Amino acid sequence: MKILGVSAHYHDAAAALVVDGLPVGAVQQERLSRRKNDAAFPLEAIEWCLDSAGLEPEDLDAVVFYERPMLKFDRILVSALRAFPHGRGAFAHAMKNSLGEKAWVRGLITAQLGVGRDKVLFTEHHQSHAAAAFLTAPTRHAAIMTTDGVGEWATLTVGRGQRTPGGPTSLVLDREVRFPHSLGMLYSTFTAYLGFAVNEGEYKVMGLAAYGRPTMADQVRKVIRRTRDGAFALDLDYFAFHTTVARSYSKRFVDLFGPPRQAYEPIDLATPEGRRFADIAASVQAVLEEILVDMTRRLHADTGLPDLCLGGGVALNGVANARILAESGFERLFVPPAPGDAGSALGAALYADRIHFGNPDRDMPDHPFWGPAIDDGELARLAGEDGLPVADLDEAALIEQTADDLFAGRVVGWMEGALEFGPRALGHRSILTAPHDVAMRDRLNRDIKYREEFRPFAPVVPIEAADRYFELPPGGARLARFMSGVFPVRPEWRERLAAVTHVDGTARVQTVERDMAPRLHALLEAYGRRSGMPVLLNTSFNLAGEPIVNRVVEGYSTFRRCGIDVLVAGRSRIVKRALAQASPQEPNEPQEELA
Amino acid sequence: MQSPLSSVHRWVWRDARRRANNLLRFAEVEADGGRDLVRAAEQTKDPLLRRLFLVHALDEQRHAGLFRQRGLALLSGLPRGSDGPANTDWLAPGERGLDDLRVEQEADGALLAFLHLSEKAAARDFTHYIAVLDGDPPTREVFEKVCHDEAFHMNYTHAQLLRVAPKDHGRLLWMARLRRLWSLYLRFAGALASVIGTVVLTLQYFVLLPPFALMARRAQRREPEGWSPIAAERNGAALKRQY
Repeated sequence: MKILGVSAHYHDAAAALVVDGLPVGAVQQERLSRRKNDAAFPLEAIEWCLDSAGLEPEDLDAVVFYERPMLKFDRILVSALRAFPHGRGAFAHAMKNSLGEKAWVRGLITAQLGVGRDKVLFTEHHQSHAAAAFLTAPTRHAAIMTTDGVGEWATLTVGRGQRTPGGPTSLVLDREVRFPHSLGMLYSTFTAYLGFAVNEGEYKVMGLAAYGRPTMADQVRKVIRRTRDGAFALDLDYFAFHTTVARSYSKRFVDLFGPPRQAYEPIDLATPEGRRFADIAASVQAVLEEILVDMTRRLHADTGLPDLCLGGGVALNGVANARILAESGFERLFVPPAPGDAGSALGAALYADRIHFGNPDRDMPDHPFWGPAIDDGELARLAGEDGLPVADLDEAALIEQTADDLFAGRVVGWMEGALEFGPRALGHRSILTAPHDVAMRDRLNRDIKYREEFRPFAPVVPIEAADRYFELPPGGARLARFMSGVFPVRPEWRERLAAVTHVDGTARVQTVERDMAPRLHALLEAYGRRSGMPVLLNTSFNLAGEPIVNRVVEGYSTFRRCGIDVLVAGRSRIVKRALAQASPQEPNEPQEELA
Repeated sequence: MQSPLSSVHRWVWRDARRRANNLLRFAEVEADGGRDLVRAAEQTKDPLLRRLFLVHALDEQRHAGLFRQRGLALLSGLPRGSDGPANTDWLAPGERGLDDLRVEQEADGALLAFLHLSEKAAARDFTHYIAVLDGDPPTREVFEKVCHDEAFHMNYTHAQLLRVAPKDHGRLLWMARLRRLWSLYLRFAGALASVIGTVVLTLQYFVLLPPFALMARRAQRREPEGWSPIAAERNGAALKRQY
């Protein structure tokens, strides 16, 4: 069967194609449209998925949308009614917003793809998350928890899944917490309060938390309290997201936590105000962790299963994930590379395949590389057109040369194979550097990523060497496969891993198995032979405000605009030549070319 | 040259908080414009245009930094947290602030014509702002620096337009002018429709919905806190339903 999964309209639009039970392609719309967090109907992503499999829309057996739009509309409408008379703005906004396109997904899909109406299916939002987490994980029987801002009505669900090799699959969600009570909305509210963009700045809150102390945890526990049955409830007097689209917190929230940070205001951790913001971030992070740990502990006690699959946007919180692994009682924790809404496109397709159509279980390839592959000859062409010398090297020479570059302190843009599916660059569209000096971290922040100083960079290490440098609990290496956990750097290595060690002595480690990324693994080994440590700093190949690069030309334009020294794409390598570099200090340079 | 709107500009730029907010908004518009130009550089098959677009993108990035830096400096001198003055975004558009650019749909010639007109409009607007910023030399200096680059951008886009469409550049410029007008009309019509829609929906909200609101609130009171069981039929339910 050929099943297309689609997620769209809120954030992270994506498409994924499943053929005969296995994914053959999955890509976020932003990587093709080049608009960060593009939520538009992912026509380009769909076209790529179909083209890459040589299919036409009429070849599809089903197109599955990742949530039930009318149920979502029901929640939006009811929320506006419940807020009467204060919800008039939210009501008008919701009507205009939903009735324009978002409520008519079946018609949209049939019109855009030309498939019959009977081929368009809908899963529930959290079923899609659950399927993305469970059906892609190497486990047969696991507890499942999904948690995010909100889907239709559910904000958190728990259940369990069971797969029988070559046989049937069951995926049952048995309990849910409903809107407006939401861990995702809690975290997003603090994200907005701290002056960051919702659905984008949550990483920043997590990074900032390490600089603070949870001195305001008790205040956070006032706005979210535990219910007697082990769930939680928000005190809605502190929130406004359920009544207005203009802001997510109320005046009472501000009275409790103090004035919010303005979006443009820099966070200066040397000032009392900067420290207050860091303490608030630490407090909400601590309370989130304590709730998640407690809920997963109860889930473990209920199910008695050793494995937990975690899905939904909250599963991107690597600090919380590490605590769940360490304290919940589960032996293994599986978080997919795309636990958010983008991954739901794949989850929806897999859910339809296994549960709706009842197709037999199949072992899933355990990697994140489902997107478009690079064109090996493109870098040579581009560099040639711009008069930059390009070296085409064989595999071994390229690895050795790149290891030399890294050992010499150069920043390398690294592109190979198929694009990652999900928000992390896991070695196919990465910026790599030596991880040893704070100066390198500062250089990356200042000249390349143009981002806040308090945000950490991640290390990448071969799985067999990970334990030497990082304190990985049992199951930690697995969680680190897709960079989903934050673990302590061993104290004796923190100085030599200063660029990737966060202020609290932790790092969001990626462990690399040779089978998953042989080239990156070889590069790490080659670098290890030079430096004595097979560890590199790995950050996503993009600049602030831009999505991760997809095609070589995008990597090339990024290389030309920032402080990356070397660009490797496939087997081609170019280095920055000062004269060829378009520098912001030389705005008139092309006039010479015009003359 | 004295703009007929100079008194409006003077009013818009008089208030320090509004000035800061405008500059910070300009910073975002410039950064967005820079990303459009990067996309243009990545799309074009013309190596010279690619290099020029990339340099142009870097200029926009630098302008964003200048606007942002100055906006923050202005804000830091103001009392924190006080309510700002009326929003005047529409009275002081930044570069390409009123245009939607779909780079991937544009041929090189059409894109150059569009950019040329946008840069020209931005240079004109920024010149007007300079004229009313006597009382704020640092902000005036920022606009002067940006204007200097705009002149280069206007020139190169025109020169390149002549190169890539030697026989067609006049038509392309007229098409771009018409598209800017059309885009302005769409924006105005969209805003008007949105206002009308909001009024109608707000009336509905207060006239038709109160009984339903009452029912919704009663139902909410009956909802238990904490966990809700998921009915067995929802698992594996028919996927054809949208609700």
